[in-house]
Amino acid sequence: MISVRDLRKHYQVHKRPPGLKAALRSVIHRTYTSVKAVDGISFEIKPGERVGFLGPNGAGKTTTLKVLSGLLHPSSGEVRVDGHVPRHREDAFLKKIMLVMGQKQQLLWDLPPAETFELNRAIYDVPRAQYKQTLDELVTLLELEELIGKPARQLSLGERMKCELAAALIHRPKVLFLDEPTIGLDVSMQATMRTFIKSYNERNGATLILTSHYMDDVAALCPRVIVIDKGLLSYDGGLDALVQRVRPEKRVVLRLNQAVAADSLAPLGKVVTHDNVTAVLQVPQDAVNATVSRALSSLPVQDLTVENAPLEEVMSELFAESKARREKVGA
Amino acid sequence: MLRRYLRLLGVQLRASSLLAMQYRGDFVIEGIISLFWTATALAPLFVVYRERESIAGWSFGEALLVIGWFTLLQGILEGAINPSLTGVVEHIRKGTLDFVLLKPADAQFLVSTARFLPWRSINVLAGLGLFVYGFHLIGRAPSLVGVLASLVLLGTSVLLLYSLWILTVAAAFYVVKVDNLTYFFTSIFDAARWPASVFRGVLAFVFTFVIPLAVMTTFPAEAMLGRLPWTSLVWAVVGSLLFAFLSRRVWLHSIGHYTSASS
Ligand SMILES: Nc1ncnc2c1ncn2[C@@H]1O[C@H](COP(=O)(O)OP(=O)(O)O)[C@@H](O)[C@H]1O
Ligand SMILES: [Mg+2]
Repeated sequence: MISVRDLRKHYQVHKRPPGLKAALRSVIHRTYTSVKAVDGISFEIKPGERVGFLGPNGAGKTTTLKVLSGLLHPSSGEVRVDGHVPRHREDAFLKKIMLVMGQKQQLLWDLPPAETFELNRAIYDVPRAQYKQTLDELVTLLELEELIGKPARQLSLGERMKCELAAALIHRPKVLFLDEPTIGLDVSMQATMRTFIKSYNERNGATLILTSHYMDDVAALCPRVIVIDKGLLSYDGGLDALVQRVRPEKRVVLRLNQAVAADSLAPLGKVVTHDNVTAVLQVPQDAVNATVSRALSSLPVQDLTVENAPLEEVMSELFAESKARREKVGA
Repeated sequence: MLRRYLRLLGVQLRASSLLAMQYRGDFVIEGIISLFWTATALAPLFVVYRERESIAGWSFGEALLVIGWFTLLQGILEGAINPSLTGVVEHIRKGTLDFVLLKPADAQFLVSTARFLPWRSINVLAGLGLFVYGFHLIGRAPSLVGVLASLVLLGTSVLLLYSLWILTVAAAFYVVKVDNLTYFFTSIFDAARWPASVFRGVLAFVFTFVIPLAVMTTFPAEAMLGRLPWTSLVWAVVGSLLFAFLSRRVWLHSIGHYTSASS
C-alpha cells in the first residue's frame, strides 16, 4: 500500500546572520544551509496496517507524512502510495488519502462544522446517499449531534478536534495520516479519539500512520512502530520487541502491608521507587522468578505485579541513547 | 468538469452568504464607511474642475464616468477579490494552505472562491449612480454599442484585477509577510481614479503597460462615450487574456515552490 525507498528531504534554509550590516549583506549574498529533515529512510506498509511513527521533536515525522501526502516534494528517493506518486497530486490519489494535523484546522472558523462537511462532500464528489450514511455514522460514533450546528469557534478544543476528524473522513480515505491528532486533549478525549480511530481502521480496512507525543496513543493503536531519529530510521517492528530491546529489565511492583527498610529491598534488585506502601524494583528478565519468590517469602507483601517500564521512559532512554551515540561519533 | 466547478462555486457562495448573514451588521457599516470614502475621494475632482472646463480633454461629466468605473471596480475588488486574498495570506501564515492543497480540486479555484463579502459591494451601486449623474451632466445617453463595449471591458477589467490579485498571492509564497503587499496593491489601484491621460510620458507608459490601470478604468469610460477605438478594445481583450495566462503560470510555479521548499 505504501512504499518508501531511500527517502530524503533536505530543506534549504536561508541563514540570516545577526547584526544589521551582516543582514544587509546577506540580502545580496544569500548563504544557504541545508537541513536534513529526512535523510534516507525506507519502509513498506501493507493495506490495513496501523503504524506509529515515534521520534523526538524535529526527528522528521511531520516531514515524512507531508511527503507521503504530496504536500512536499522529496529531495530524492521513491515514494508510492497505493500505486500513486504523491507529489503529482492527482485527484484520484487525493481522494484516497487524508492528513489530519492536530495543530492545524480545516474547519471554517465562523461557520458550523456541518458547513465544512458539506463543502468537503462537494469537493470530494461524495454521492448524497453515501454522504448521509457516512455522516450518520460519524455523528453517532463521535457523538457530534450537539456540535455540528454550532460555529466552530464556539467549540472546545476537544470538540473541535472530533469535528476536525469527521471533516477529514467525509470521503472515507483508504489511507489516513494522523499527525499528533490528540495533542492538547484531556485524557478521556484522547481515549475517545483512539477508540474511534481504531474502529475506523477496522471497519474500513484503512491504512493508518500515526505520530503522537502520547505513548498511550501509540501503545493502544499501533502494533507496529517505526522510530525515526534525526531523519534516520532507527527501528521498525513490534512495539513489544522494541521495549524488550531498549529495556530488557522488568519491574516488580510490591504493595506492602507495612513499611519496610530500604536495606531489606536492596538485595532483591534495583530500587526504582520506595515509600511506606509500595516499592518498585527493576530486575533483569531472567531474575524475575527468583525476585518474586524471595520477596514473597521475606517481605510483608499484600499484592505483587510484574510490568514493563513505562513507555515514555523507554522512549526517552532510546532517544538519549542514540543522542549519546551520535555525540560519540561526532567527537 | 465545468459543471463540477459550477457546483463547487455554488457551495462556496452558500458558505459565504451564511457568513454574510451572521455579520450583516458589521458589514453594512463597513459598506457605508467605504461609500463615505468614495464620496470624499470625489472632493479633489470638484476642486480641480472648478478652475477649468476640461483636463486633458476630459470634461467634468466625462471624468465622473472614470470615477464611476473606479468605484464600481472597487466594489467588486472589496466584495469578491480582496476577501479571498486576505484568506490566502492567513492560510499561508497559519500553514493551513496544506488543507487546500490536499483537496482534489484546483487550488487556485478553491482559494479564489473561498470568500465573498456581498455587503462590501455597495460601491457597485455607487458606481452606477455616478454613470447616471455623469451622463446627465454631459447631456446625452450612451449608445447601445458603447454600453456593450463597456460591458466587455468590465469583463477584461475584472480579469485584470483578478490576475493582479493572483500575482500578489503568488508573491506571498515567497515573502510570507504579505500585509504590506496587500497595501501596495490597494494604493496602486487608488491611482486608477484619474483618467489615464492625466499621467504623461513615462508614467503613462507604466500605467498602461506595466500596471494596466488605464485599461481598467479609462477604457470602459471611453467606450461608454463612444470614443474608444476598436483596436483598443481588441487589445484590452487580448491583453487581459495574456495577463490571466501569465498569472496562472506564476501561480502554478509558486505552488511548486511552496511544496518543494516550505513546511
Ligand atoms: N519548512 C521548513 N524549513 C526548514 N526546516 C524545516 C522546515 N520544516 C521542518 N524543518 C526542520 O526539519 C526537521 C524535521 O522537522 P519535522 O518533520 O517537523 O519533525 P517532527 O515532526 O518529527 O517533529 C526539523 O529540524 C525542523 O526544524
Ligand atoms: Mg511534527
